[in-house]
Amino acid sequence: MNDQWTDRLSEYLDGELAAGERTALEAHLTTCAACRATLDELRKVVARAKALEDRPPSTELWSGIHARLTPGRRPGVSRDATSRRVSFSVPQLLAASIALILLSGSGVWLALQPRSPVRDGPVVVTPAVWTGRTDAAISELQDVLSRSESRLDTATVRVVRENLAVIDRAIAEARNALAADPGNAYLNLHLANTMRRKLELLRRVNAIAAAQS
Amino acid sequence: MSRQALEAASLIPDQMAAAADAEAADTALAASGDASAFERLYRTHVARVHSLVRRMLDADEADDLTQDVFVRAWQKLSTFRGESAFGTWLHRLAVNVVLARRKTLGVERGRYRTDEAALDGVSGRRETPEMSVDFEEALSRLPDGARQVFVLHDVAGYRHEEIARMLGVVPGTSKSQLHHARMALRRYLDR
Repeated sequence: MNDQWTDRLSEYLDGELAAGERTALEAHLTTCAACRATLDELRKVVARAKALEDRPPSTELWSGIHARLTPGRRPGVSRDATSRRVSFSVPQLLAASIALILLSGSGVWLALQPRSPVRDGPVVVTPAVWTGRTDAAISELQDVLSRSESRLDTATVRVVRENLAVIDRAIAEARNALAADPGNAYLNLHLANTMRRKLELLRRVNAIAAAQS
Repeated sequence: MSRQALEAASLIPDQMAAAADAEAADTALAASGDASAFERLYRTHVARVHSLVRRMLDADEADDLTQDVFVRAWQKLSTFRGESAFGTWLHRLAVNVVLARRKTLGVERGRYRTDEAALDGVSGRRETPEMSVDFEEALSRLPDGARQVFVLHDVAGYRHEEIARMLGVVPGTSKSQLHHARMALRRYLDR
């Protein structure tokens, strides 16, 4: 059943009617059961749409994308083709962390050497956009770690603290270098990478501590 | 602190902020040419992009076009200014790729079948686990114009003014198409 208001129900539902029309439609709804029923069904349609879940593709698409990203380079082997479920001991994880930190330290040394940017053109995402949030996230993770590190043995805690200190030094050096050369694309990216590695290390250690409980 | 509480404390409060931070870092790395960082972005967003493409076009186009979206994103990363989340930027880019594809396919803009017969044959079920799948099927049978507007407005959350600009129509047309789509899908709910 349709009347003059039926075609306005979606606008009413979305709050897009002018005040006068809204009042008139609400008055109509008090007397028109058909419009009330239609409005209720439209609400259900909208709710259903909002509840739709995103589903990934049923086939692996990355390898095809990757091949098109780097046509001049031999495409890497798809992660999915080689992924295995592996587990690491605490010493292995810490050894990996140390390796990352050494890479970070080397990166700072390299960054301090005169060099041209790694890529022509502007690098558009600068740490200023995100470092504040990252600092906050790191701070929260460190708070969690300070509360949970009693679950780790003393030697592990010591190694973790030493590693974090080294990362902090790398971050500080990158920040200092950036202060002197804010437009240096390599330094911006190096700082982003180093902070991401600190986040990963903190998350990893917190997960280890959680697993000990 | 219990293990559950510890895990919650270590993951939930930080999860969203940390994910955003990691994504911002990955975006910067990808912009510098780091394909591994771009793959992480792909893994995070592929379901949303693929679902958008599948809903706005046909399912058999979804895989190819999803790949096109990510290749295009890689090529256009230098235009990403970080003023919005990467996911928001990527979603808008995906919409543009889909709309461009529609043009090349010669899809007639704004076509709408007033008899709503397009939904005939959709096997509706009320309040069943398959409900969502059936709803997607009903959605896929909407006329093109109504389908685009419904997906952009009710599923993706764009406003009529934005949709009108994307589709090259006036906001009133977008509102009308949305209402037609909802009314057609309402019929499905009645089954």
